[in-house]
Order: sequence, then structure tokens, then C-alpha cells
Amino acid sequence: MKRLKRRVGVALLLAAAMPGLAAAKPIAFAHGTTVMAEYGAGTMEEAQVFYAPTYKLSAGLGYLALDSEDGGLSRDIVYGRVNYLFKRWNLEDAQGNVFGWGGIGSAGTGTDDSELFTWNAGAQFDYETRRFYASLKTDYFDSSSFSHRIDTLQLGVAPYKHEFSTLATWFVVQGRQYTGGIQSGTEWALLLRLFKRGAWIEAGPTTDGKLQAMFMVNF
Amino acid sequence: MRTAILVLMALLAVPVSAETIEMKVNGLVCGFCAQGIEKTLRKNPATADVVVSLEEHLVAVATRAGQDIPDNVLREALTSSGYDIKAITRSDTPIEDIRARLASHEK
Repeated sequence: MKRLKRRVGVALLLAAAMPGLAAAKPIAFAHGTTVMAEYGAGTMEEAQVFYAPTYKLSAGLGYLALDSEDGGLSRDIVYGRVNYLFKRWNLEDAQGNVFGWGGIGSAGTGTDDSELFTWNAGAQFDYETRRFYASLKTDYFDSSSFSHRIDTLQLGVAPYKHEFSTLATWFVVQGRQYTGGIQSGTEWALLLRLFKRGAWIEAGPTTDGKLQAMFMVNF
Repeated sequence: MRTAILVLMALLAVPVSAETIEMKVNGLVCGFCAQGIEKTLRKNPATADVVVSLEEHLVAVATRAGQDIPDNVLREALTSSGYDIKAITRSDTPIEDIRARLASHEK
């Protein structure tokens, strides 16, 4: 019940943010807001809202729900987070980025009503051209009774070069690993990514036939 | 005298031509990520129109008649959007011509 209330709360938070949307990323651009929601093949659900006062820094709130593949473990985490762009390479036909983040929050494990203090740290490295995309992300959570890490690799190719205001199409292979007893092995997914202007959606099946999907907007 | 006055009036009646500023920008590979450029530049009261081309690494701004945007303001706008300007040039080429040229490349 408590978990349901949290999920409803996150949905309301996102709904409240949506009407003002115009354009989205952990850090979008100075004075930009990013809203992201992800459904991770039945194992992970995450939602985030970040505001960036500068193009190197953003801060906001997030919600992460995890259910282990055997159903014996669940986690509900609400957190505040600060993201920082450590390095950007603006090349003539490519861009590379190194992001890092850290935050604190409250976690429920479903075993009782107690809330645990939790902290979080992570990093992302990405490189892209108009035809090739690669990113590696690691996200670590720790509390007095659990810790886990989610590592995500994405490799993408675009069948054509998109323009600033035209639809971009990408085919992305995603590999994800969970530690902390959430899931064993690597979860692979083949995703279709579409974005235009400030709206981004990607979805596709995992090798187990489950849905992996993500929606993001910048404004 | 009358002719001189007419010529003077005709000259004064010619509107000051609007200027187009073209900026070569590195890192322009993702339309989604570059939305901040257009948003930031359009906030400037001197901006009449903005065109962005990933293919030509180009950001073009048409200014309102008789107005200009200083280079330091342009660099700040692009930097705050997360990009680097490599060069800035000004011309009287209508931005519609630039838009048409870019559209022809997309076909």
C-alpha cells in the first residue's frame, strides 16, 4: 500500500511537470528542465525531474523501484540528486561527455514499514556522432541493509543522419547488469529510439520478451 | 532643391536591412541535445529568427532591423547551451535563403 502511494505520488509529480513542457538529459542546458521515466523490463522503474541552473549542473528528484527476478526482493527509493558535467568534448562531427552524480534519499524494502537512509553515486560516459552512439552508465545505491549497482551499456546506429528539427531514428542494443541479488546475468534489449525537438522515446523487447522503454523531455 | 529633398526622403525611407549572423559550432550532432541553442537565442530581444543545421554545423540568427547581437553575447548563449563557437560571420543574406539552401540539402 505504501509502495502504491509512492508510485501514485511520483506519477502526480510527473503529471504536474508535464504541462509546461517545451523541450530534455540529466543536464539539458542552462535554465532547462529534464523529465524522464523508464520502465525496465519488469525489474526496474525509474522517474526523474531535474532542473539545470547552468549547462554543467542540475539538481532534482528521482524515484527508483526494483523487483528481483525471483520476486523475493523489492526496493522503493526516493532520492534527491545533483548531476555534474565533468567534461565535454565538442568536436566537429562528434560530442563526448563525462557526467557524475550523487544524492541521498529514503528507501523502503517491503519487509516492514521502516525507511532507510540511502545514498547514491554514479557516472556516465558517452560519445556520439550523427550515425553512432555509445554510452556506459553505472549507478550505485547503498544503505545500512542493502547495496546494489546498475550498469548499463548502450550502442546505437542511425540509418540516416537526422537534422535539428526532423525525426531522429536510432537502433540501440542495450546490455544491463544488476548487482545486489536483483538479477543474475546480463539483460539484453534491442531498442528503437525516436526523438524530435525536445521529446525522446525508446522502446523494445529484451531477450526474455519483456518490455524495456524510456521517455524523456527537455524544456 | 526639391530634387535633393526627394532624394533625401527616399534614402530615409529605405529600411535598415536586417542582418544575419552565422556561427560555426562544434559538437552539433544531436537535435534533441541542441534545443537549448534555439531557446536561448530566441530569448534575446534582437533575435528575429533562428536556424540550426547539424549538417553544416551552423547556427544562423536573423536580427531585427537595425539591431545587432554582440559577439560576447552570442558566445555566452552558445556556451550556456553547452557548445563552442568556432567562427562568427555577419552578412545581409536573408535567413529564408539559408533555410531554403539547407532544405535543398535535406532532399
